[in-house]
Order: sequence, then C-alpha cells, then structure tokens
Amino acid sequence: MLKVSFLQVVWLSLSSLFTHGLRFKELIRQIDNLAYRSLNIVVVCVSFAAAVTILEASYHMKLVLHNDSLVPGFASMLIVRELAVVVMALLLAAKIGAGIAAEVGQMKISEQVDALKLLGINPYNYLVLPRLVACLFGGALLSLISNAVCLITAVLVTMNSLDQSLAFFMTAFRRFVLFQDLIFSVFKGMVFCAVIPLVSCYYGLICEPGANGVGRATTKSVVSSSIAIIVLDFLLTLTFSFFY
Amino acid sequence: MISQALILLGDYLLFFNQIIQRAQKSWGQREEICEKALQVIKESLLTTVFAGFFVGAIMTLQFTMQVQMFDAMSYLGALVTSATVREVGPLLIAFLLSGKIGAFTSAELGTMKVSEQIDAIRCLGADPLKEVILPRFLGIIIASFFLLSFGLLFSFLGGVLMASSFSGLPWEQYLTHIPTIVSRFSVISGGVKCLIFSTVIATICTYRGYQVLGGAREVGEGVVQAATQTMIALVLADWVSSFILEGIANA
Repeated sequence: MLKVSFLQVVWLSLSSLFTHGLRFKELIRQIDNLAYRSLNIVVVCVSFAAAVTILEASYHMKLVLHNDSLVPGFASMLIVRELAVVVMALLLAAKIGAGIAAEVGQMKISEQVDALKLLGINPYNYLVLPRLVACLFGGALLSLISNAVCLITAVLVTMNSLDQSLAFFMTAFRRFVLFQDLIFSVFKGMVFCAVIPLVSCYYGLICEPGANGVGRATTKSVVSSSIAIIVLDFLLTLTFSFFY
Repeated sequence: MISQALILLGDYLLFFNQIIQRAQKSWGQREEICEKALQVIKESLLTTVFAGFFVGAIMTLQFTMQVQMFDAMSYLGALVTSATVREVGPLLIAFLLSGKIGAFTSAELGTMKVSEQIDAIRCLGADPLKEVILPRFLGIIIASFFLLSFGLLFSFLGGVLMASSFSGLPWEQYLTHIPTIVSRFSVISGGVKCLIFSTVIATICTYRGYQVLGGAREVGEGVVQAATQTMIALVLADWVSSFILEGIANA
C-alpha cells in the first residue's frame, strides 16, 4: 500500500460508506470492544475527577467569596461544560487509541492489510469505518454516562464534605446549567471520540515494519490524538461561547 | 476485580521499593541518568509546551463565561492561575506526558525484554534493575518534573494571551489579583503534585515494560496497559494528594 495522508484516510473511509456500505457485524463487535469495555475505566476515573473538582472549587470559593454556597452551581457547570467530556476523551485516547494503533499496525506489518486488498475488500471500509461509527455512537453514550456519573459523585461529595443538601444542589444545578450545555457536551464527546479512531488508524496504516515501528505508531497516535482533543476542545469552546 | 487491583497495587509497591533501595547508591550513574533525562525532555518538550498553552487558554475561556455573570472580571487571572496551578494543569499535562513518555519507555523496555537483552545483562553478572531500569526511572522523574513545571509556565502565558485577546482584559489587570489568591502554599502543592505524578508515570511504565513476556504482540499489549494504568493511577493519585494537601492546609 502506498503512503497515504491523514485527509486521504478520512476521505476514503467516509466515501466507502456510500460505495461499500457499513459492515454491521464488525460495527457491533467494535462497539463492544471500544465503547462497552471502556465503560468501567471511564466511570471510575471520571468520578474521582469530579470529587477533586468539588474540593478544589470549595477551596477557591472560600478564598474569594468567603463561603462555599455557590460551589454546587459552579462545579456542576464546569463538570457539564468541560470536565466530564475532556477527561473521558483523554482516557479513551490512551485506551482505545493505543489499542487501535497497535492492532492496525500489527496487521499492516504482517501484510494482512495487503491481503485484505487482494481479497477485494476495501481496507478503509473494513478497518476504519466500523471503528469510526462505533466511536461516534459510543462517544455520545459515554459522554452522557460520564456526565451523569460526575454529577452523582459531585452530589455525594457536596453532601458529605460541604454539608449541603441534595435539594440545594439541584436548585443550583437547574439555575446554572442549561439544556444546551448538555447538547454541546454530547457533541464535544462525539467529535473527540471521532478523532481518536481516525488518528490511530492513520498511524497504524503508515506503520513502519518491525516491532519498533508498531511501538512508535502507538506512541504517536496517543500523543497526536490527545493534542488534537485539547486543540479541538479550545476551538469548540470558542465556537460555543458565541451561542450563550 | 478489586482483589486484582489490590494485587497490582502490591506489585507496583514492591517494584518501587526495589528501585528505591538501588536509588540510594545511584550517584555513580549520574551521567547516565542525566543523559536519559535530557533525552526525555528533548522528545517531549514541544508536546508539553503546546498542551500547557492550550490548557491555560481553555481555562481562561471557561472562567470568562462564569466570572462575567458576577462582574468579577478583575479576579479572572487570579482564579484561572490558581485553578491551573493547583489542579487542572498538572493533571492534564501529566495525562499527555503519560501517553508520550509511558508508551515510549514501556515499548523500549518491552522490546529489550522480549529480545532477551535483559537476560543477557543478568548473565553478565550485572543487575538489570540497576543498569537498565534505574537510570530510566530517575531520568523520567527529573525530566517530567521539569516538563510539568515548564508546561504550567506556558499555561500561564496561554491564559494571559487568551484574556487579552478574547476576554478583553488587559494583562496588567489579569496579573493584579494573582498574589492575593495564589498563595505560596498553592504553588508548593502544585509542585508536590507534579512530583507525585512524575513518580507514578515513571513507576508504571518501567514496570509494565519490564514485565513483558513473549513476543511483539505482547509488547503492544504492554504499551496499551501502561497507558491505561498510568491514566487511572494519575486520577487516583490526584484525588489522594488533593485530600492530603487539603488536610495539611487546614491544619
């Protein structure tokens, strides 16, 4: 296979949706592999991140406003707008991204990708597209779950260590968080999760021969997708800030 | 699942203990350690600077929207700097570094292990933990501590630039309230977190690489495990260290 550029990978896999269709069996397998198996890690990490946020927010509120009655409002806003999705996406970039790059890279250097071509199977349609669709679908679901878990942990921590009631939290939550925040959050989650398989498949497909090549492809894919997520987060936040 | 996690934790602590015992006599290896540290810094400096810059910019963006509701724009710089130094900066930059350094080191050590280079060192009568692992371990700690601090510096720069271009807050005003809110303890606790995170990254990725058995496929699996376990450990370490530092601050 000749060297391809990143945009070519994106274009070829998206256009193969119309020429070759979507492989549903593969899609279901990838949803199980990429989304479902990341669920427990996302839940554990995101809940701890939310607990830290509440503690930090209360520290800052005490410094500036000398009481922490505004913590639930600000913290839930920060969680829904930024924290839940970004922490989730960075976790997935390491877990899914490294896995995809290692798998595809291994296939590339053992010439299985070329074998697919010989069998008349479009490798982009077979390798990239199911992972991309699975990640889009999984990203939307996981960002909803991650938001929910974050908020539940936040409620538990505020009730335990700040001595505020559930009703107080919910009132603040409904005043500060708008419905569009949740929609933006899910949109962000989908964009971040779409970047991961594209970047990792790209690095897997241009993998150099040898075990070293696979290692390097994995490293590059994790680093590039994490940076891409942070930059995209900045751009999306900037765009969304015009909608408020 | 919980017992597995506990066994894993125990393995890491034993490995950490073994390395610390050897680290006490590591003065003779100082040149090698510095070389490793420089290598890591050279490879990851650009990533860290980039990440730090954008973390600062994102934090400023988010805080601008919140602070505007309370007409407290003059506190923007102070709040962003405090939140970034104490919490968000170390965590997010450590996430990126764990991907970069962790994958690189565990792949390198794993390849050495499966191509029996580590066994060869043992056959020559030398201690592989002392000759191979220790320089990398200490090098990574020094380098990532330096990189994290550097990233925090750039996040500050990103915050200033974003505030003056997007929020319309001149940089003099951005800086005014920083000394009132960012106390000396905040900076120290940020530094302590950086040190803890770099130790976590160094321990997990050297251990994962050292434990690889088998062939090229297992090296790949080891890399993936190193990346995921480092992330989980970082979040847990963040929570624990926040809790302890909070306790010290209140005492």
